[in-house]
Amino acid sequence: MTRGRLRGTIVENLRPDFDPASRVTVSHPARLLEALLFISPRPLSAAELADACGLGEGGLAAALAELHDEYADGRHGLEIREVAGGFTFAVASDCEAAVERFAGARRPDDLSPALVETLSVVAYLQPTTRAAVAQVRGVSSEWALTSLVERGLVEEDGRADTPGAPIVYRTSARFLKLLGLRDLSQLPALEEFSLGADDVDAIRLRLTANAERRRA
Amino acid sequence: MGMASESRARRRRPGLSPAPDLDLELDVFQGPFDLLITLVLKEEIDLWEVQVSHIIAEYVLRLADSEEFDLEATSRFIVLVASLLEMKSRLLLSDDLFGDADDELDEEAGEELLAALARYMQFKRAGAALAGLYARHAGRLYRQAPLPPRYLRGEACADALAPQRLVAALAPLLREPPVPDVSHITDLAVSLVKELRRLRGLLDRRGSFTFAAVAPRDRLQKAVTFFALLELHTRGEVTLAQVHPFADIVVAPLGVDRAQEGKAEYAPPRALGAVG
Repeated sequence: MTRGRLRGTIVENLRPDFDPASRVTVSHPARLLEALLFISPRPLSAAELADACGLGEGGLAAALAELHDEYADGRHGLEIREVAGGFTFAVASDCEAAVERFAGARRPDDLSPALVETLSVVAYLQPTTRAAVAQVRGVSSEWALTSLVERGLVEEDGRADTPGAPIVYRTSARFLKLLGLRDLSQLPALEEFSLGADDVDAIRLRLTANAERRRA
Repeated sequence: MGMASESRARRRRPGLSPAPDLDLELDVFQGPFDLLITLVLKEEIDLWEVQVSHIIAEYVLRLADSEEFDLEATSRFIVLVASLLEMKSRLLLSDDLFGDADDELDEEAGEELLAALARYMQFKRAGAALAGLYARHAGRLYRQAPLPPRYLRGEACADALAPQRLVAALAPLLREPPVPDVSHITDLAVSLVKELRRLRGLLDRRGSFTFAAVAPRDRLQKAVTFFALLELHTRGEVTLAQVHPFADIVVAPLGVDRAQEGKAEYAPPRALGAVG
């Protein structure tokens, strides 16, 4: 098909009965949000969106809900996600493979158990230092921390005001994105993972049994 | 160290067994706590029964067989082995030094260790939950294209300076500054040669004199005079005498016939011994 023979848009040519007005499904505020999310390279917070669109709290919530519905349930190749402190477009899960093929994108490498442990200590104790991480893990965690910084999951955040002025570590915005978290308050509570009395007793028993076997 | 066949069988477990086809899975054994937990809970091994030398020998063999050298894995292996050795040596200490008499101390240390292990396990479990989130979300593709360039130009802030004022502020920096007046700084007026000449004149006319009497006021010129005196002394033309340290220096001619020296300003110095 050459340019000369094409009258109107491709859609009009393919579907002569197409009426653009009939396709408008979301309100004007929702369309504004859509435009902003399309153009922003990072997640936009509710405050930023409300400010840019001149919307009040209620108006923003309504527009967001509307847009969320529009992009929900596999209706589009994109979906709207709330992650790392704001709202952003993400490729729908069932479309990821095609995008990866096209863009050569690769999902981030899996984390080794050592990295996962270190990441969990930083995530729950932040702001924290290398020494604090080593204390929890019982082993020097320099390599693991460096590796997490290289992967962009953990960031250095100045130095502590304690003797030796050690470097302070925090999790990054990328950490929130990769774990699909809106903010740190969405981390599962650390208390959920504490050992039950039975587990502690089991370890104690084993420890003493080992010690006695040695003495014998 | 019990080397019963039973314990040998126990050692043949993933991670620590010296079986030839073994994958050491070093990440699982990154740290002593991890190691300890694994040993205590899963392996049911008494540390005494772990033969570290076997593990090392096995690993070295494997290294020789493998085509590439993984520095990271090897360092972690070394850390693992070091941790094992440290734990074993600690066991030696606790038995020999404290013995059974210090049960209370043992108990206290045991409870501390237990608390540390429990805390470690808590973070390990939390880590597993985080790893689950990571597995579910890390592959998500978020909008990440950069902002179109025309949107990158931010507005100047309200109290920014007008361009003209910036120019006015910067222009003076580009002008060549006036050369400062240095006429009040004088060149050094005395040279060593001139000073030698003056002092020799004085020696000829007055015979002996003191340093204070002939030295100029200026510190630098005084230094040149002093240097000239030393020079004369070195050449054996004068004797220098001082009643006590920091006293005035008495300069007396040594009676050298300078006519024979040809009045050379820089004749080779004579031996100092000639001067008393």
